[in-house]
Amino acid sequence: MYKVSSNIVNIPRLRPLVVALLLVALWANGAIGAETKRVRLVSLIAIDEFMGRLKEPGGLFYDGTKKRLYVADSGNKRLVSFDEEFRYLSELSHRGFSIPISIVKTSAGEFYITDAKTGEIKFVDVKNKAIVPLKIKGLDGKKKFVAGRLSLDEKENLVVTDRLNKRILVLKRDGTLVRAIEPELKGLYGFSDVKVDSRGYIYAVDTIGRKVYIFDNTGRLVRRFGTGNNELMRFPVSVAVDSRGYVYVLDRHSGRILVFNDKGVLQYLLLRKGVSPGELYNPGYIYIDGKNRIYTIDGNRVQIFLEGD
Amino acid sequence: MRRAGIVTYLIAVVSVVVLCYGTASAAKKDTRKLCADCHKEVAGFFDKKRVHKPVAGGQCTACHNPHASKHKNLIGESRDELCYGCHKKDKLLKGNVVHQPVVEGLCLECHASHSSDKRALLKGAEAELCFGCHKKENIEGKKFVHPEVRKGRCTTCHDPHGSTLEGLIVKNNMCISCHKGGSKTLRAAHSGLNVSGTRCLSCHSPHSSDNRGIIKANVHAPFAEGKCNVCHRQGSKEIVKADYTMCLDCHENSMQSFYKRYNHLMAGKDDNFCADCHTPHASDERALLRDREDKTCWQCHEDTRSLTHSARYIHPDLKNCLDCHVSHGSNARYMLAAGDNTCSMEGCHPSQGRFTHPVGDDAIDPRSREPMNCSTCHNPMGSPEEFILRAGKVMELCIKCHQI
Repeated sequence: MYKVSSNIVNIPRLRPLVVALLLVALWANGAIGAETKRVRLVSLIAIDEFMGRLKEPGGLFYDGTKKRLYVADSGNKRLVSFDEEFRYLSELSHRGFSIPISIVKTSAGEFYITDAKTGEIKFVDVKNKAIVPLKIKGLDGKKKFVAGRLSLDEKENLVVTDRLNKRILVLKRDGTLVRAIEPELKGLYGFSDVKVDSRGYIYAVDTIGRKVYIFDNTGRLVRRFGTGNNELMRFPVSVAVDSRGYVYVLDRHSGRILVFNDKGVLQYLLLRKGVSPGELYNPGYIYIDGKNRIYTIDGNRVQIFLEGD
Repeated sequence: MRRAGIVTYLIAVVSVVVLCYGTASAAKKDTRKLCADCHKEVAGFFDKKRVHKPVAGGQCTACHNPHASKHKNLIGESRDELCYGCHKKDKLLKGNVVHQPVVEGLCLECHASHSSDKRALLKGAEAELCFGCHKKENIEGKKFVHPEVRKGRCTTCHDPHGSTLEGLIVKNNMCISCHKGGSKTLRAAHSGLNVSGTRCLSCHSPHSSDNRGIIKANVHAPFAEGKCNVCHRQGSKEIVKADYTMCLDCHENSMQSFYKRYNHLMAGKDDNFCADCHTPHASDERALLRDREDKTCWQCHEDTRSLTHSARYIHPDLKNCLDCHVSHGSNARYMLAAGDNTCSMEGCHPSQGRFTHPVGDDAIDPRSREPMNCSTCHNPMGSPEEFILRAGKVMELCIKCHQI
């Protein structure tokens, strides 16, 4: 008979059991035992005879219909396009592109960017070669809106992080507010990146809080996960979702991509830290296209990967 | 045969018992007289008011090995292990914040091993011991000095061994154990407000200051002018606006410094991101930072803190984050103040790129295809390698680019 104790760990015979249970719990949560899967480097974009060198690119968007890749080349204040084999095609420079950090393109061929120099969303009128700041309508004017990362939902609404106000705004393309997703949760520091899946579910990452948030298409929080103070999720800066519903979290400090299922359980890891091709050193952005190709922006280069050999 | 076996067994048991008893009694044996025959200084141990218990009991061998030891002064074990043999570590260290000498096992930096006239066998007056490491002028060198500091009673507020609180503070709400929150005197000093529940150190220095009331050195203008109602409702602690818009009402121009490629425009812990780094009242740091630069940054950059704390070699100015980084925003990666030229800024490393390995546009890293800079080879945040190199200086680093 064991003597009843308030501190169960003090019973020597039960210690292994407690440790085993702890390990099982960590394993079930995916915190240990995650394997690193192989990826194939499809292409690396950094420098080109005609394009020159990319400089601190901020975001990118792949148009699956036109088979074009568009990169917001922030440091060079331009948008650059590439063909389906990621060869340089053309660029669009404009004095209105102060520091483009995020880009989306609608099926109607309209480009929207966010500009770090002004904190605005801007509509790129390609035909008229004009850059028009988007006026946000229906938003509480007391708070200052500083646009961060931009994405498109299934209805081609603009989904944007509001950097100062711990919220995500869903806007019609004319700037009218559809909804503000503003979870009042302890431990939320603000959203660094946002993506939307084909169902309209919104995925956002909180870098300092080290958490991923999933909202349904009404803006209701359906899941929040992260590894807290875990070694694995050290400085998550960007998020993407593939066609299986797997959530890809780009971790800047570890130079890895953490792949979770939609329940927030870690499935596997991708890549490793380093500066060589196929490695990540100081990554800032992740994007996944309709063919599940993974795009990363790391310093002055864009790398495109496919899972498997 | 059987009888012989029993006898042998009994002899063995008796021998073991005698041996053990002998050893135990030897440890407790009063060797003072024996030792003092040669070590004349022993007599002087008893002239002091307080004598270490084993010394008083003449148990020199409790600490010293009379024959041989690999430690100085024939100490039986390493110094910290020796002390912790009797002074239980878990009782001494009350939390995860541990005083550095304790971490390094330097008990005898503060305590005398044999006897002392001071309490706790201290080697000298409390404050003087502290000032051996902590610069006196930084603590009590200002015009207005906290009375306990003036009296040299550091341990009134600090635990010299360990604490659960930053700064080795003895307990939470330390100040109100002397300064009663709702008292008339305290109210009078705070425009009639009951300041209980507020964080005293957001305005006051706990040690000394040139400002009356030991208010910290740098003071927010409305606070200095007594215009509390710029931010607070009249006669109340309640603030006018709960979020960053209150700061922007006056500091709207500051926003421009954030509008950069890389920036700190992030909502933060509460609704006012300004207050994550700055204090609205007074600070001993520049730009009214809440705390020392590194501590302010580490509030959010916890992972960087872990990295730097575990690194064997770190940049000597690592605590001064803002010597290299810009706090609001920068178009340079890592929010560096001068991009790739940050290391040569203000004459820190003027030879950068001149006599060393070529850097810049003419020296492309074959791995990343980016122009090399100082951080291609050095990791200023910390490294296990000398000169904060990213790999061993004997070839390992070079062959990352130069094939052999």
